[in-house]
Parts: sequence; structure tokens; C-alpha cells
Amino acid sequence: MVRVAGPYDIEAVRQEWLGRTTEVVRGRYPVEYDSIRRHCHMVEDTNPLFLDPEYGESSVHGSVIAPPVMTRYFAGAGVWPPTTDNPMNIVREVPTRGERMINLNTEWEYVLPARVGDHLSQQTEVTDIFEKSIRLDPRSVWIVTETRITNQHSELVAIGTNTLCTHRTPEQVETEEGERPQ
Amino acid sequence: MTTRSAPNSIATEQTYWEDVRVGDAIGGYDLSLTWTKMAEQVSGSQDFYPVHHDPEFAAEAGHPAIFYNTGWTQAALCRVVTDWAGPAGWLRKFRFEMRRMNIPDDQVHARGKVVGKSDLDDAHGVVDLEVWLENDRLGVTTPGWATVRLPKRG
Repeated sequence: MVRVAGPYDIEAVRQEWLGRTTEVVRGRYPVEYDSIRRHCHMVEDTNPLFLDPEYGESSVHGSVIAPPVMTRYFAGAGVWPPTTDNPMNIVREVPTRGERMINLNTEWEYVLPARVGDHLSQQTEVTDIFEKSIRLDPRSVWIVTETRITNQHSELVAIGTNTLCTHRTPEQVETEEGERPQ
Repeated sequence: MTTRSAPNSIATEQTYWEDVRVGDAIGGYDLSLTWTKMAEQVSGSQDFYPVHHDPEFAAEAGHPAIFYNTGWTQAALCRVVTDWAGPAGWLRKFRFEMRRMNIPDDQVHARGKVVGKSDLDDAHGVVDLEVWLENDRLGVTTPGWATVRLPKRG
């Protein structure tokens, strides 16, 4: 995050950042088996629709598909190696009071399945920025983004909204507000 | 090719729209948040923000412990839906709110229930679900809502 330690003008930030949209950026890799396998491992999911090529071929989808919630993962670049054209970097460029982050609300509409071998792209827009008091920070800054994910045929695969809360550490709040959060 | 493991009998059993009733409970499943599970959430989500794996970093930010990340949370809720809907079901809409945290040593229960049902076309109907994660410490931590397209028996 781009932390502003001094005076912070939320209206100026809104004016500068609302509506700002990234380019359409292609995911680093196509939809692939092993990432799906690791995803399923997190929650002990053994669904053969996501894990078994033979079963996937015989299914209504005709191949293994990614769990719908993985579409954004495959439309991204991943964390390594570092890249500057990850659309989600736009969120980290918005000036905020604190550098700490908590992701809060997520909403998606899934239009098409992402099959193994598909190559997804994403485009993200900053749609809202506002202040809200939370236990950790009386003036936390919340950032709302909308992301559209398309496949290699330029078909819409999914569209989603995400709400991220940024906040200061208790020490920063105490220094800047004169009172430590409870 | 040989299938290496038995298919998940829950996920391969098809749910048909005609058989669903508003108020039906979705049994879901349970997860124990061991430190191994914490490592799995980082591996599976590729979310390396330290608040999800570094207790000192989490404490410095004012949190009582590390907490499980968005990738893990949405995977856990999504599994409730996809296990229940079966191979021809399709998750159309999904939202969730991470109101409270799931942390190491929590026993998490992923559950759901049917809250709405409507016709779509000759071959499909639509069902609305409430899904949630709860733990033994705090009760419901993560409420969610899903809309699923199901095939008709027709």
C-alpha cells in the first residue's frame, strides 16, 4: 500500500482513483491441473470434476474444470516471479492511511467454466473508496474493485467485486490519533 | 488411464432441481485448523501475506493470531456448494462476508441450507443457498450466499 503518514484527503483520493481501470492482462499460465490439486488440498476436496481427467472428460464440461472460485487465480500472474503488470497492483497503488490489509467481502457471478488449458485474462477497476471506523483503526480506508475475467475467446467467464480494508498498526494509530485502539 | 482414488461419492451424486425443498439442510463437512492446514492454505492459495502465516506480524497489526486467508475461505465455502450440487450443477453467483476470523486450532464446520427455488427453463431450475463457516470458538464467522443452476430430471 502507499501509506500517507501525514494529512490524508479522502475526497482527493476518490477524485483521482475512482474509475481508474487496468489494461486487460493475460494470466501468466493457462488453467492447469497442479494448481487445482493444491487448491483442493486446502479444504480436503476430492471432487473428481476438479481432479480426475478421465472423469472430467465424461462430464457435462468435457474436461477437468477449475473450481469456480479459482478463476481469478488463473487470470493472475501469481506472486513469483515479481511482475509489474498484475492488475491487482492497482489496489496497492491507492494512497491509504495504513499499509495493513484485511480482505472483507467478495461477490462473484460465474458465467462459464474455466477448463484445463483455457487461458484467462482480467481487467480491474477501482469502483469505490471510503473511510470507516473499525476496532483496529478509527479511520481505516476501504477500497472496492470490480474485476472482469475473460477466456482466450474473449468470452466473459466471471465478474466480481471485492472489498478490501486497509488500516494502520496500533502504534501508528496511537501516534497519529493520540489514542491507542482497544 | 486408471483413476488413482475413488470418486467423491458426495460430489458425483447429482442433485436434481425437482428434489430440492426450501429448508433442506446441506450437511457439509468439518476441518481441523492444524498448523499443517495453515501451510496448505498458503500453498493452495499462493497468498503469502504474512498476516496469514506469521504470528509476530499478525500481533504487530493488532490481531490475536494469524487468520485464514480469502483463498482458503472461498474454497471452503465453494466446496459446500459443489459437493452438494453434483457434476452437472453450476455455481452462478456467490458472495461471502469475512466477519470474524478462523485461526489455528479452530474446529471449522462448513454448512448450508436451501433458502429459495425458482424455475429457469425446460432443462434447468435455480436454487438459492445460504452457506457458512462456523467454528467452536465464535460460531458463524463467514456467512455466504450462493445461487446454483441445477438440472431437471426431465
